[in-house]
Amino acid sequence: MSDEAELYRKAFEREREARKAAEQVVEHHTRELYLKNQKLEESLKQLKDQQRVLVQNEKLAMLGTLAAGIAHEINNPMAFVHANLESLTDYLESYQKLVELQREALTLAPDQQEVAGAKIAKHVADADLEFFEEELPELLEDTRDGLERVREIVGNLRSFARTHTQERQAADIVAGLQSTLKLLNSQFRTEVIVQQELQPLPMVQCNLSELNQVFLNLLVNAGHAVEGRKGATIGVATAVAGGQVMIKISDNGLGMSEEVKEQVFVPFFTTKPVGKGTGMGMSIAYGIIVDHGGEIEVESTEGEGTTFTIKLPIES
Amino acid sequence: MKGVVFNILEDMVTEKGGLMMWQKVIDKAGVEGGYTAVSTYSDDELFSIVGAVVAELDLPAETVISAFGTYMFGQLASRYPVFVDSCDDLFSFLESIDSVIHLEVKKLLTETNLPSISCERVGDDQLVMDYRSPRRLCVLAEGLIYGAAEHYQRPIMIEHPVCMHKGSDHCDIRVQLTHE
Repeated sequence: MSDEAELYRKAFEREREARKAAEQVVEHHTRELYLKNQKLEESLKQLKDQQRVLVQNEKLAMLGTLAAGIAHEINNPMAFVHANLESLTDYLESYQKLVELQREALTLAPDQQEVAGAKIAKHVADADLEFFEEELPELLEDTRDGLERVREIVGNLRSFARTHTQERQAADIVAGLQSTLKLLNSQFRTEVIVQQELQPLPMVQCNLSELNQVFLNLLVNAGHAVEGRKGATIGVATAVAGGQVMIKISDNGLGMSEEVKEQVFVPFFTTKPVGKGTGMGMSIAYGIIVDHGGEIEVESTEGEGTTFTIKLPIES
Repeated sequence: MKGVVFNILEDMVTEKGGLMMWQKVIDKAGVEGGYTAVSTYSDDELFSIVGAVVAELDLPAETVISAFGTYMFGQLASRYPVFVDSCDDLFSFLESIDSVIHLEVKKLLTETNLPSISCERVGDDQLVMDYRSPRRLCVLAEGLIYGAAEHYQRPIMIEHPVCMHKGSDHCDIRVQLTHE
């Protein structure tokens, strides 16, 4: 072999060794990457499990809010229905006494009728039966109204939670908004003015139960935002625009700073004190809307109020 | 097939017949001939090269492939000593191929065509390896087993009574320890 060929052979050997070393480095890193990837996959799985638990917690928290509202809503009519029934029981006793006195009078001789008549007149006066007579129809009407309200609340609750399936079906979003608003009546009734501008919407393929959850979330948040403010107003409006339905939920409450606004849909972000909010409500709402092929936007000015706009495709 | 197999084949050919022979082989096989251990190349390319080696040496293909297997074992053992060091004897090494070595290969490469290997001991001196692979490289496996036996310094005899090349769906490679 010539000197030059020998030099080439040596150079070739050196290069080959260098390549082997480089390959070993690559293999080492590839193995590390593989192991790190495995760890990441495990962590991701754990995170997903935890997220599922949090979503469940958020749902339970919402359910708690809802249950408190419903208890209040049902408690009021039940209280006066109960009181009315007590009065009716008293009235019944007086009327039974009257019937008894009249039955007695019928068995008496004519000369004793006058005494019996005086006795009946005394009972009518003592028991104030004239007032009862006037009062009775109103009492029954109130009782019927009260029970009707309870029936309505239960009906709203059923329509709110009607479809607990994953399936989407044609649904009336305005009806969903209305039933959600009625469930929140007790929270809004006195302090908050609810302005509804609900234009009829075409039927939308959706999971109404999920959308109701979003509306409930936005409305409860709006309620918190206007708490204790003068002229507290929450606006709910619907409209159709360009093949989409639009739902606006606005309030004239505290509003949000730019920083808060930017993070409003971020999981775990909350402005509520520790232990009060899970920070998942808005991110779940966002997930539900996006899942329906829609959009949710927020406009807010600190000190003036906030408006959430949801747009959903009619054919989703 | 993993690039390292091509590298080892190149090492063997150049060691036995010099660079000239390797050049002839890759010219004859009609391939580019540059391989890195960390990549994967087509099986056909390997088979073309092996075919060219067989033609060049004018030896039966089985002899060449088996010899390559034996040579390859030594090379793999020096590149990846951890696998042989973690087993004390030949049979426990053969038993670890599927569960340990192939698992490591999967970490490095998304290799989908690894053979499936399971071993069963028959008494103290015999092990039957059930080999299944779409590549049907049972002869290479035999060579590798001979290489492993050399490494562990255990003389063996191999029988191959059931073979994919004879219409079976798998191969039985019977490894018998011999006592010289």
